[in-house]
Amino acid sequence: MSKEKHDADVAFIKALAELLRENDLTELQVKRDYAEDDSLNVRVSRHHPAPVQHKQVAPMAQPQAHAPGPRTEAAAPEAPEDPAAHPGAVTSPMVGTVYMQAEPGAPAFISVGQSVKEGDTLLIVEAMKTMNHIPAPRAGTIKRILVEDGAPVEYGAPLVILE
Amino acid sequence: MSWPAGYGRRVLDEVDSTMTEAARVADALAGPEWIMARRQSAARGRRGRPWRDPGGNFAATLVMRTPGGPGQAALRSFTTALALREAFAALTHAPEALALKWPNDVLVNGGKAAGILLETVGARGGSLAIGVGVNLISAPGADAVEPGAVPPVSLLAETGLRIEPEAMLDALATAFAAWEDRLVTYGFAPVRTAWLSHAARLGEVVTARLPQDRIEGIFETVDESGAIVLKTAQGRRAIAAADIFF
Repeated sequence: MSKEKHDADVAFIKALAELLRENDLTELQVKRDYAEDDSLNVRVSRHHPAPVQHKQVAPMAQPQAHAPGPRTEAAAPEAPEDPAAHPGAVTSPMVGTVYMQAEPGAPAFISVGQSVKEGDTLLIVEAMKTMNHIPAPRAGTIKRILVEDGAPVEYGAPLVILE
Repeated sequence: MSWPAGYGRRVLDEVDSTMTEAARVADALAGPEWIMARRQSAARGRRGRPWRDPGGNFAATLVMRTPGGPGQAALRSFTTALALREAFAALTHAPEALALKWPNDVLVNGGKAAGILLETVGARGGSLAIGVGVNLISAPGADAVEPGAVPPVSLLAETGLRIEPEAMLDALATAFAAWEDRLVTYGFAPVRTAWLSHAARLGEVVTARLPQDRIEGIFETVDESGAIVLKTAQGRRAIAAADIFF
């Protein structure tokens, strides 16, 4: 199995695990077809009530891989999760510097748990002295903020998780 | 002085800030419009830095549809700086005194005579506001800027010429429209070449200050995205957002 495919599988399983946790489900089973004779079967289940601490992100994932080739190692729960692969990730449209508020001393545009409307400013990415207000692509709740004020960001870097 | 076709022109006696006014009208505009104010009661610079307006200086904002993605919008930093340099050259007849500092400062005899601020505004960031402030007759004191920053100067003090704000608006709008046409037609390459031909400290050591970092290196060039390229002890670094110190 290629490294890319392995990584994609890990990201896919992690996204499922997060879905499970956030929707308070106990079990989720998905079959993903890559090609004829090449598919990934994942069953993720959770035996305990929803963990309260945010740290305990990785639930007991029990992926079951079917032919061809074993894919079970893809589910290593201790592997770092990739927020960019999260379906709710809002990514940076450019390289630049992040600002969390309109100007120093002003309140931050967003905080975790806050509801936003489509088009609301989430944060600013500056490049070439151009202040780009990054709008919410859809309405939702801010689940996580992945960048800090003044931090440099790359193109495509996940900024916030919006669900 | 002519006025470029397709651009609106609005001159106000007083407004809080031309940038704020641009944000208010952005969504209702049919085409690009220059908004000039003879006086601003709540002028502001980048990241909320105060911009003093004692009257008699130039303050205007061009508001236009955001051209392409955010990367395209940021290239207007360079076209605006080139246009402002041309306007200065046309009005002062002293092109040899003028230079550009990355990305959009226009220097007169090595001092900062103007500030340019770009910001996406309107619904979903669908418009771009380009604010231009020029110290026509007065400049703040050197104590108003960070230590090590280029000193503020006025066109009057540097050239002895008293330029009217509306003359500055006409010259700037005309030059900007020409650079915007070149950027849209030919891409960033000719803009980059022209900008580099007027760049201050090219080939010399400069310092880029970032919120969480400080990078020193030889100012080699500006890349195709507009980032400043420094040759540092650790290799080449392309930097998209920083304050440059000489």
